[in-house]
Amino acid sequence: MSTSRALSYNFSKKIKNVLRSERALAYLFLLPTLIMIFAFVIIPAIWGLWVSFTPLSLVGKYAMKYDFIGLKNYIKLISDADFYNSIKISFIFTILSALIGQAFLGLMLALVMREKAIKGKSIVAITVFLAWIIPEVVAGYMWGVFASREGMMNTLLALLGMPPRNWLYDLPLETIIIANIWRGTAFSMILFMAALEGIPHYIYEAAEIDGASWWQRFRYIILPMMAYVILVDFILITIWTFNVFTMIFVMTGGGPGNATELWTIFVYRRAFQPPYEVGYASAAANLMFLIVFLIILSYIYVSKKLRWYG
Amino acid sequence: MKIHNIVYYVLAYIFLIVVAIFFSAPFVWLILSAFDPMASPHFRIPSEVTFRWFAGIFKPISQYYQMTPFSWIINSAIISVSVATLSTMLSIIGAYPLTRFQFRGQQVLLNIFVTLRLLPVIVIVIPITLIFARFGLLNTYLGLIVVMSALVLPFNLLIAEGYFKALPKEYEEAAMVDGLSRWEAFFKITLRLALPGIVTIWLLSFVVAWGDFLLPLVILRDPWKYPAAVGIYYWFGVYGRVEYGRISAFSILYSIPAILVFLLTRKYLMKGIYGLVSR
Repeated sequence: MSTSRALSYNFSKKIKNVLRSERALAYLFLLPTLIMIFAFVIIPAIWGLWVSFTPLSLVGKYAMKYDFIGLKNYIKLISDADFYNSIKISFIFTILSALIGQAFLGLMLALVMREKAIKGKSIVAITVFLAWIIPEVVAGYMWGVFASREGMMNTLLALLGMPPRNWLYDLPLETIIIANIWRGTAFSMILFMAALEGIPHYIYEAAEIDGASWWQRFRYIILPMMAYVILVDFILITIWTFNVFTMIFVMTGGGPGNATELWTIFVYRRAFQPPYEVGYASAAANLMFLIVFLIILSYIYVSKKLRWYG
Repeated sequence: MKIHNIVYYVLAYIFLIVVAIFFSAPFVWLILSAFDPMASPHFRIPSEVTFRWFAGIFKPISQYYQMTPFSWIINSAIISVSVATLSTMLSIIGAYPLTRFQFRGQQVLLNIFVTLRLLPVIVIVIPITLIFARFGLLNTYLGLIVVMSALVLPFNLLIAEGYFKALPKEYEEAAMVDGLSRWEAFFKITLRLALPGIVTIWLLSFVVAWGDFLLPLVILRDPWKYPAAVGIYYWFGVYGRVEYGRISAFSILYSIPAILVFLLTRKYLMKGIYGLVSR
């Protein structure tokens, strides 16, 4: 008895010694990562902050001119109707396509996927996943063609008696919202499916025996037990949708005019299309990043609770 | 009660059918047009099946250009394999001290990684272009690969951290007691145990790089250097007459690796989604 205790004491001492001597070296393991992130993310971000205080452009009078002009770019932004337009479009896009479209459809799908008696549901799940995993550019190409005047969307809607239209010109914002619901619903569906699996079956059965209706079970069992998961889903898809660039850029390029110019496309167009006002575009990017950052902070706060609860 | 159930099932089926049509319709067009000799935006069942469009992937995109769409796929492969390998290696050795030691600022560091993982890339893109122009990294794969790796690193690190945490420490400690140094224990025991996790991280970062569009769009200038993502955009958006059949065939080929990765990592994604989400 006493020998084994001495032995285990020796073991733990040995481990502690090894730990102490090699601890410093272990931090070296983190060094390459930190250098990479500093060099290619943090320093550029700081550079971008600096650029936003200059009149820098890629060509012309202000090419490579890093003169400090204070908050001029930011002041100009506040009175830029196009910037307001892009913020408005981003918010509408995010609220309708992510918070209402993806989350709601994802929850409905997850609930249906739970029903054992329903056949063919895995085929539906696979198509929903496919939309999510194919490269974003392919999704943009498909939707750009699908929603055009000659496209298949009109063929399908004709079955319901709707006249053909050029969706990307007549209802551009509505169309990109629908396209993004198509693209992103899978994530909410998977997350909700995992969460539903975590609810023990006996709770369900007990409620059923007590005569709880479908709605009551949903309202008083599923919804409260999934509250945190739903909240985390809301925050994540809000961030992702707010940051969407590629699919919409490929579909519409921000047009017609600026009808689908999300803030990311606004920044891209100002910086990389004539007159290449990178200083001004940086100011817009930084301002919008501030909004994204606040949402990320709320995510860090909420996800900690999820980790504890899940 | 029974009627109630029937109504419920009928509604569920109608819902599923509508969802299935909505989600599959664009794919139906994509696949049909890739095999249709008269491919156009119209939906039509081809009267005959052609493989001309798939063969066309290996032919120059036009008489003015020597590059073939397939060369874009090769470019994508070079870039994504490099990014996945570099970022996976760095994230594995980086995640180790994060899980085996407790140090001050650890939580802050993890929170920074979470923030970086969710960062809108467009914020970084402008200064990266300016810095790269200054250091001659614009229009180079080296520049593209290091930036992409730096941007997927936080994502990889958080997955790796979750993986290492879930591994039992006891094997490693037993090996250390048996006389292996910490690093031998790490390389011989822990890495071997974590192998499925490492493969998963590699595959996921590969697919992120495979689909990336914005960074190569601004960093690369020569069309023959483009990865497939920018290639499709260039081909579809900038070209005069759109060759739907060939672009569709190319899109299908380009999507296959992403779909394969999903199939290979499916179990992890489904089971590990909480881990992915709570970090």
